[in-house]
Amino acid sequence: MEERVLALIRERKKMLIPTLMLVFLFYFMLPLSLTLLPDLMNRTSFIPGLTWAWVYAFMQIPMTWLVGWGYHVNAKKLEEKINGIKREELK
Amino acid sequence: MNLTYFLFFVCIIVCTLIITYWAARRSNTTNRFYIASGSLTGFQNGMAIAGDFISAASFLGIVGMIAISGYDGFLYSIGFLVSYIVVLFLVAEPVHRLGKYSLGDVICSRFPSGQMRMIMAIGAFMISILYMIPQLVASGFLLRLLLNIDYSISVLVIGGLMTIYVVFGGMVATSWVQIVKTVVLMSGTFLLALIVFSNMNWNLPYLLEKVKTGSPLGESFFLPGHQFGNPLEFLSLQLALVLGTAGLPHILIRLFTVRNTFEVRRSLISSTWIIGTFYIMTLVLGLGTVALLGFDKLIAIDPTGNLAAPLLAKEVGGDFLLAFVSAIAFTTIVAVVAGLVISATTAFSHDIFHHIFKKGKSTELEQLKAARWTALGIGFISTMFALQLEAINVTFLVSMTFIVAASSNFPVLILTIYWKRFTQVGAIIGMVSGLLASLVLVLLGPHIMNSDGGWIARDAVISLYNPGIISIPIGFLGAYLGTICSSKQAQTEAEFRRFYIRSQTGITSRSENS
Repeated sequence: MEERVLALIRERKKMLIPTLMLVFLFYFMLPLSLTLLPDLMNRTSFIPGLTWAWVYAFMQIPMTWLVGWGYHVNAKKLEEKINGIKREELK
Repeated sequence: MNLTYFLFFVCIIVCTLIITYWAARRSNTTNRFYIASGSLTGFQNGMAIAGDFISAASFLGIVGMIAISGYDGFLYSIGFLVSYIVVLFLVAEPVHRLGKYSLGDVICSRFPSGQMRMIMAIGAFMISILYMIPQLVASGFLLRLLLNIDYSISVLVIGGLMTIYVVFGGMVATSWVQIVKTVVLMSGTFLLALIVFSNMNWNLPYLLEKVKTGSPLGESFFLPGHQFGNPLEFLSLQLALVLGTAGLPHILIRLFTVRNTFEVRRSLISSTWIIGTFYIMTLVLGLGTVALLGFDKLIAIDPTGNLAAPLLAKEVGGDFLLAFVSAIAFTTIVAVVAGLVISATTAFSHDIFHHIFKKGKSTELEQLKAARWTALGIGFISTMFALQLEAINVTFLVSMTFIVAASSNFPVLILTIYWKRFTQVGAIIGMVSGLLASLVLVLLGPHIMNSDGGWIARDAVISLYNPGIISIPIGFLGAYLGTICSSKQAQTEAEFRRFYIRSQTGITSRSENS
């Protein structure tokens, strides 16, 4: 049982670590791009009247919601698999 | 104080005291007192987390910062919000599975010792008190400015209320006060945002134009760089904000108040929706302040900008709306400080009194009595501190709390949960080095050492106001060096594997169950 559970945890880690790295990259690219690419960030974006700096900052909000929801869906699946293993073990 | 203000305040106080009376009858065991028996649903806990997290600094400070600095003010909100991803991905579920009432329980589930528990309790206690004092001081100033009540009376009222909530109602009262606060805060902010838009004829481009004419920054109001001139300072602040929440004891202990990890995730997801929506509304309020009130009028009344939201309310809705927004600010403060009192109480009465002094052998009644007396003591001491600190600027303690949490609790939590080689010595050194580094760097920084009105009137040794970029790596480095320089933990590979499986899945072995 232990090995099967550990394999599931490893599988989850494979998804979790790259996602978290992408979140950090996306988050820290905001201050970095404001510092390193001020001209580009101050240009008007595809939304009239809004600069890329605002669009990028706003995008962090739906990013947080989406990533949180994605994590929840994934964690639910993992819990179902673990409960399946537990049930098999009890039989 | 006029009658409208008085009625709003009485209404808030009576409502929260009714909640406390109701909760007091349900807080007769330690399990109920500390974690409300894990009886909250995910959504309720999400509202309570938002209520615990959104402080007066968020409600009043961010609106003011946006009104004064434009874009840069909004960036604070982003860091606060994204930090919940770190909590969700790395610590939330393991903390719920490993702990019972406190962060000390979580770490001691791997390194069970009095020393370890003591250091975790000291960390949690310090963070909670450091955060509570500026909240109380700010509440004194806020109520004095808004309602013309004496500073001491304001602090005594808020200090007294938070103590009553926790002493009598424990976590049940604290949670429901925080839930009510979230409802009141969100609906009030939403109402104010709608009024701003209606004043602009529901025309966003017109609002933006009015902002440009209302601010001395003009066109550049919407461009970055008005507050964060130093890129390193900016990056350091963003780092402390995004990692700090995952080390804040008063937020993490809320994860024990639901029954399983499904509800833990729902709690955090609900709180990110609430907090994200709230920050979007604060942006509207910040812009509305500049457009409708004007920068000059705001600065003439309050140069810090903290009164932007109340002044906007008065501008668009007269005394009645001002009274409503002031009552929201008051509820915001009492809900946050109540959360901090229960966090400090748990650290002292559960970790230090029950586990260290009584070696885990105190009875249920003794524990409950100790918890109530501790809450009373903490409420009293922090109120006394806040009364004495009227003349001293303590606002830097708010950002310092995030730095201390990100430099001490966060590294130790992460490494305990995920690093096989980690040892108790490493955990203790990590905690101590993170705590000391944050304190020393803040002491040597411009908050304290400042030739222009600092506590120490000379140039700062460290130029950063937010030294998280130095102190967080020191916390991790201390934990790493402590581990590799100490002998390997007596814990065997199999024992760590069992601990790791428990933290990741909740599966416990038969020996752990027995």
